[in-house]
Amino acid sequence: MTLDDKHAPKPDPDVIAAAEVAAVDEDDIDDSKYVSGLPGLLGVIDVGIARIEAVLLAIGVLLMALNTMANVVGRYVFGESLFFSEELNRALIILITFAGISYAARHGRHIRMSAFFDAMPFRMRKTMMIVIAVVTSAAMFLLTWYSVDYLLSQASRGRLLPALQIPQWWIIVWAPLGFFLTGLQYGLTAIKNLIDKDIWLSTSTLEGYDDSAEEEV
Amino acid sequence: MMTWMIFGTMIVLLLLGFPMMIPLIAGSLIGFVGLFGGFGQLDTMVQQILGGIRPASLIAVPMFIFAADIMTRGQSATRLIDLVMSFVGHFKGGLAIATAGACTMFGAVSGSTQATVVAVGGPLRPRMLKAGYNDSFILALIVNSSDIAFLIPPSIGMIIYGVVSGTSISELFIAGIGPGLLILVMFSIYSYFYALRNNVPTLPKSTWAERRQAVLRALWPLGFPAIIIGGIYGGIFSPTEAAAACVLYALFLEMVVFREMGLKQLYSTAKSTGLITAVVFILVGAGAAFSYVISFAQIPQHILGSIGIDEMGQYGVLFTISIAFFVGCMFVDPIVVILIFVPIFAPVVQSVGLDPVLVGTIITLQVAIGSATPPFGCDIFTAIAVFKRPYVEVVKGTPPFIIMLLTTAVLLIFFPQIALFLRDLAFNK
Repeated sequence: MTLDDKHAPKPDPDVIAAAEVAAVDEDDIDDSKYVSGLPGLLGVIDVGIARIEAVLLAIGVLLMALNTMANVVGRYVFGESLFFSEELNRALIILITFAGISYAARHGRHIRMSAFFDAMPFRMRKTMMIVIAVVTSAAMFLLTWYSVDYLLSQASRGRLLPALQIPQWWIIVWAPLGFFLTGLQYGLTAIKNLIDKDIWLSTSTLEGYDDSAEEEV
Repeated sequence: MMTWMIFGTMIVLLLLGFPMMIPLIAGSLIGFVGLFGGFGQLDTMVQQILGGIRPASLIAVPMFIFAADIMTRGQSATRLIDLVMSFVGHFKGGLAIATAGACTMFGAVSGSTQATVVAVGGPLRPRMLKAGYNDSFILALIVNSSDIAFLIPPSIGMIIYGVVSGTSISELFIAGIGPGLLILVMFSIYSYFYALRNNVPTLPKSTWAERRQAVLRALWPLGFPAIIIGGIYGGIFSPTEAAAACVLYALFLEMVVFREMGLKQLYSTAKSTGLITAVVFILVGAGAAFSYVISFAQIPQHILGSIGIDEMGQYGVLFTISIAFFVGCMFVDPIVVILIFVPIFAPVVQSVGLDPVLVGTIITLQVAIGSATPPFGCDIFTAIAVFKRPYVEVVKGTPPFIIMLLTTAVLLIFFPQIALFLRDLAFNK
C-alpha cells in the first residue's frame, strides 16, 4: 500500500491519504515526560508518586501473569497447583486497581460519557469540569475515610491469609491509599482549572489531547 | 422513592460527563445512607467494592488484555487480513467481506472493539476507499464488524457478566461463537449485494500457493483461538488458565520467535494493561457495591414488578432484557450497563427459568449492537477518534447493519440453539 500506486482509481485522494495515517496507537504513556502540576518540592514528590504508581502497575501485571502462568504449568506439567496462587492474585488485583485509579486520574484516562459535555460551550465546559473534579475528589476522600475504617477493623482482628501467612490487612492497605491519591488528583485538577485559562482533564492532560471519547476494553 | 433518587442521580451524573465510577459510587452511597439511616455502614460499602474485584475468575480479564496487548503490537492483524483476503478477496464485495472476516478473527485474539477498529479497520479502510467503496459504508462496516469481537471469545463483557450473574464463563464463551458467525454471514451477504449494486470492481483471485503462504503466516495468531476455544472445549482449561496460556504463548512468540518485543516494551505493555485493568476494575468494584445495595433494598423487584414482568413469560422477559441493554448501551459504556442491569434482571431470569447462558449471550449481543448505535454508542466515538471523520459520516451507513444485528437478536430469542448448540455439544448437555 504505497502512495505511488498510480493505477488504482482514487475517489478522493485526500481522504485516502488521511486514512492511511489515521491508525496510530497512542496508548503508551511516557512517564519520563510527565510534568507535575505542582510547584517546587510538592511537584518533585508528585512526580515521584507518579513513577511509583507506574512501576507498581507494571510489576503488578507482570507478577500476576507470572503467577498465573506458573500455576498452569505447575498443574499440567507437575500435577500440582501453587498453593498460594489465588491469594497472591487477589493481593495483586487490589494493588493494580488502586495504583491504577490514581494513575488514570493523573492522566485523565477514566472512562466517561463525554458526548453532552463536548457539545457544551467553553465556559460551561470549564465550570462543569471544576464541578466534576470537586465532586469526584470529595467522593474519593469519603471512600478514603471509610476504607481506613474498614482497614482498621480488619487489622484489629489480626487474621492471617491462610496460604501466604501474612496479615489480611496488608493486601487492602492499597485501597485507602489509592482512593486518597485519586481524590488528591481530582482536587488538583479542580485547582488547575480554576487558575489556568484552559480546560484540564487532569493536572497533566489538556482537554482534546486524547480525542477518544471513551476508553474501550 | 429511593429508587428514583438512585437512578435519577446516576443518570444525571453519567450524562454530565462524570467519570463513570462516580455515578456507580453515588448510586451505592445513596442506597447505603438511605437503607442504614446514615453513614455508619459505609465501611461495608468499601468491603463490597473490594469483594467485587476479588473473584478469581476476574483474573482472566487482565490476562486476556495483556495477551492481546502483547500480540497485537506485532503483525497479527496484517497476517489475519492477508489470510482472509487470499480466500475471499476475489468475490464480489470481497474486500468488504474480508473486512468483516478479519474483524471476527481478530476478535478471537483481542476481544477489544477499539483494538479491532484500529488494527483491522486502519489498514483496510484505505484499500476499500481505493477500490471504490463509499466511506459511510466502510465506516459502518468496520464499526459493526468490530462488534463481533464482543461475541467471539475472549470477551471481557462475558467474563464480567459471568462473574456478576454467577454463570459459567466457559459456557458463555462457547455460546458466543454461533451468533458471532451468523452476524458475519449476514454482513458478508450484505457486502456482496452492496458491491453488486454499486458495481465495485473485484480483485484478482489468489493462487493456492499464495493461500498456503497466507495460512502459514497466519498460523501464529491463530494459536490464540486454538488455545482458548480448544482448551475450553476440550475441558483442559478454565478461562483464567486459558488466558494465562495465551500470555505465555504471546510472550513466547513476540520475545523468542519474532524477537520484536524487548524488555522495555514488555514493561510499557504491562503498564498499559494495568491501567486499563484498573479503570475497569474500579467500575466492577463499585458495581458490586451498587448491586449489593439494590438487592438488599429489593429494588429490582420494585422496578420490574411495576412493569408487570411476572406476567410476561420467557419471551417477554427476554425482549425486555434486550431492549434495556440495547438502549442502555446507546448511551453508556457496555461494562457499566452490564454492571447495573444484570443484578436488576437476575431475580426474574431465575424465577422464569431462563438459561443464564442464553441470557448472557443475548445481553452480549445487545451490548454490541447498542455500542454501535447512534446517538452515543461508544464505538461511534472510537471510529470518530481513530478515523478523524465527522459524526454524521460515521453514523450515516449504520442503519442496514443495525437492522441485520437486530434480526440476529430476534432470531436468537426464538431459536436459542444458534447460541446453545455448540455449548450443548461441548458440555454434553
